[in-house]
Amino acid sequence: MSARDHEKIRGREAPYLRGVPESTGAPMIAAFGVTLLFAGLITSPMVMLVGVICMIVGFIGWIRTVFPNEALEMLPIGSEIPEPAPRFDANPRSERVSLPEEIQPYRSGVLGGLIGGIAMAAVAIGWGVLKAGSFWMPINLLAGIFLPSVEAANVDALKVFHLDWFITAVVIHLVGCVLVGLVYAIALPIAPRRPVLFGGVVAPILWTGVLYGSIGIINPALEQHVSWRWFIASQVAFGVTCGFVISRWTKVPTMQKWSLQERFHLEGNRETKP
Amino acid sequence: MTTVPAPIHSTSDPRMGLGERLHGWAVSVDHKRLGIMYIAAGLIFFVIAGLEATLMRLQLIAPLNDVLTPQGFNQMFTMHGTTMVFLVGMPVLLGFGNYLIPLMIGARDMAFPRLNAFGLWLFVFGGILLYYSWIGGDGLYGLGGAPDTGWFAYSPLTSKAFSVGHATDYWILGIMVSGFGSMTTAINFIATILCMRCPGMTMMRMPLFVWLMLTVAILVLVALPVLTGAQVMLLLDRFLGAHFFDPQQEGSVILWQHLFWFFGHPEVYILVLPAFGFISEIIPVFSRKVIFGYPLMVAATVSIAFISLGVWAHHMFVIGMPPWLNSLFAASTFLIAVPTGMKMFNWIGTMWGGRIRFDTPMLFATGFLVMFLFGGLTGIMLAVVPFDWQLSDSYFVVGHFHYVLFGGTILAVFAAIFYWFPKAFGRMLSEPMGQWTFWLLMIGLTLVFLPMHMSGILGMPRRVYTYQPGRGFEIWNLISTIGVPFQIAAVLLLVINVVKSLKSGRVAGPDPWDAWTLEWETASPPPSENFRKIPTCTSARPLWDRKHPEDPDSNYE
Ligand code: HEM
Ligand SMILES: [Cu+2]
Repeated sequence: MSARDHEKIRGREAPYLRGVPESTGAPMIAAFGVTLLFAGLITSPMVMLVGVICMIVGFIGWIRTVFPNEALEMLPIGSEIPEPAPRFDANPRSERVSLPEEIQPYRSGVLGGLIGGIAMAAVAIGWGVLKAGSFWMPINLLAGIFLPSVEAANVDALKVFHLDWFITAVVIHLVGCVLVGLVYAIALPIAPRRPVLFGGVVAPILWTGVLYGSIGIINPALEQHVSWRWFIASQVAFGVTCGFVISRWTKVPTMQKWSLQERFHLEGNRETKP
Repeated sequence: MTTVPAPIHSTSDPRMGLGERLHGWAVSVDHKRLGIMYIAAGLIFFVIAGLEATLMRLQLIAPLNDVLTPQGFNQMFTMHGTTMVFLVGMPVLLGFGNYLIPLMIGARDMAFPRLNAFGLWLFVFGGILLYYSWIGGDGLYGLGGAPDTGWFAYSPLTSKAFSVGHATDYWILGIMVSGFGSMTTAINFIATILCMRCPGMTMMRMPLFVWLMLTVAILVLVALPVLTGAQVMLLLDRFLGAHFFDPQQEGSVILWQHLFWFFGHPEVYILVLPAFGFISEIIPVFSRKVIFGYPLMVAATVSIAFISLGVWAHHMFVIGMPPWLNSLFAASTFLIAVPTGMKMFNWIGTMWGGRIRFDTPMLFATGFLVMFLFGGLTGIMLAVVPFDWQLSDSYFVVGHFHYVLFGGTILAVFAAIFYWFPKAFGRMLSEPMGQWTFWLLMIGLTLVFLPMHMSGILGMPRRVYTYQPGRGFEIWNLISTIGVPFQIAAVLLLVINVVKSLKSGRVAGPDPWDAWTLEWETASPPPSENFRKIPTCTSARPLWDRKHPEDPDSNYE
């Protein structure tokens, strides 16, 4: 184990060192909801409905006590561990290496995906305005992934605003960008050499190729109207921006070189006897 | 997140009104409060299930009695068994785990405090859902529709044809909901024990109780989902016309038995292993000796759990399995006797030559040893296939498993209540009353359950609401029922003892028994953060080391 890893483990705090969890009624409400949900099977759908509502309220309340920061009642200063930090036996490590040793945190992928999504949307809308003559065209085409009504529509209908199509497109875009951003964050550290080049250019071209072949099945409307050059451009815009955002993030080491015991904090605090 | 240091423990301020204080308990995520609520709820269900048992014994006091209708009798034994296993045994033991595990390993709370609260409330609401069947079982307005198919709900009794109305559905759903609670608690135990131990507390320095709870949690996670799965299949049968358990449509009634007992037998160990844990903590302290053979005790625990997963079909010797299969399951059942015997010997070895103090917890622990030994021996007898063919579904079996469950689990729970009450509430329980409770309970147990072995051998079947005179059953049933008031008196005495001692019991101080594990290092009752400073651990008896710096255990490890 490297000296750095040593530091890291030593710096890791025991849970609830400085505070104890704050009370919350949310788990109780959630449990009540779950029970009513089941009771609804044999009583009435209304009971089930109330159960679902309680369950959602409870789970949301619960999540809010842990995100973004766990709600703690702080303990008075001086309650922390008095003892010297726990020590570890220096385990001989095997020679095997597995890469990467460091990765970008996953939240960088979410942010990268969102910012990349803005760049991509800008390019796509640029195409809509400049070439297809409508701000709404690319948005409506995107909605076509889910909505059969889009496929049946003629070009004029595709050029005007539809609230339902718009909402659908925004949801698809957001979810898609965040997920692809996450994939980038995971894949970038193992990409060869120049991550932004690979993630920003090579990957979009490969991916567009795949889409080119299969688009007729996924979204026939898109196939009819899309300009592939612009399509690639918007993908590259996404890839470069997203990759750039992600690569700016400080890397964190993976746990792979820790032993199973250290990952589980098992035996992690062993002291050596004098 | 609060960043300003807030006064801890504010919810127990004595100046607060009752409503506020109840609210404080309801929204608490503190493992100690949750543990106490688990135990309290379990004990309330214990009283309810006890009343159901009393009614059954009254019905059986004489032949051709009519205290209960046949239908009512069926509901009583079903609700009694279901309640005792799912709403008394599991929650009380999980409650002790909840209370003690963080204290014993020197942590401030469970790994997932809110999940912990979620588990408690699932159990409570699931129990209420089960009991709601009294109101809703025959459709919302028909009264008295509790489940009546036995706690193991054998098919085809539970099929739509034989179980009209919703009683069986309430059984399925109530148990399922509280089962989810037990599963979340098990996950919490495992995470807490593996990840939250204080500096120096290695796996092999954990108190045996913690080892046993870790094993139990793993058993819960292996066994309970199988029951849940079987229950989902049964729901599909009942609601959507599936045929898993319907032999007329190529389903199998035996399938239910296999699934049920694959859960049901490990469940038995889910109920006794924590009891082993209590005993393993109490006997050394009151014998003033180190537990004999700690590593062997750990190994025996793990192997009991492992073997218990492979013996379920000893509940099914009479269904007509091929003889070689019967022999296989008989053999694996015998095998469990080996690690169990090792544990018995280790406990006795710990007491051997010790300076034993027979305070109430130790009395109960000793009672446990005797009763569990007897229950274990009759268990081995039942594992002999021809013997089981004779006595299966007779009162002998009822006698056997009550010796194990009541004489084992419940006696150990009483021991634990007397041992840890001072820690939880800061006051001692009354010692003379405790001794009375013990003797009343032992007399009651023997009077009620010993004669059952006799009536069973004479041929009395279990689960009959009455019997004909002149078969020799009368006297044994009469004695059985006479034992009941002793047990009721014992439980009442405990309740009085608790209520009185909460108000005026002797103040306990942090360590009234001169014990060695970490929970006795902090104040009684412990502050909401458990320890002002996180403790450290130097051996399996950290408190001994602190009390005896001249001769610490850590020198001998
Ligand atoms: C020494 C270990 C044990 C052995 C060898 C053993 C063996 C058996 C056998 C062979 C049966 C089947 C009887 C029959 O249905 O004909 C049985 C039933 C039963 N045992 Fe045990 N047992 C042991 C421990 C326990 C423990 C610790 C408990 C509970 C805490 C327990 C609870 C039960 C119950 C509830 C039944 C009844 C099943 C039914 O309703 O038919 N047993 N036992
Ligand atoms: Cu069994």
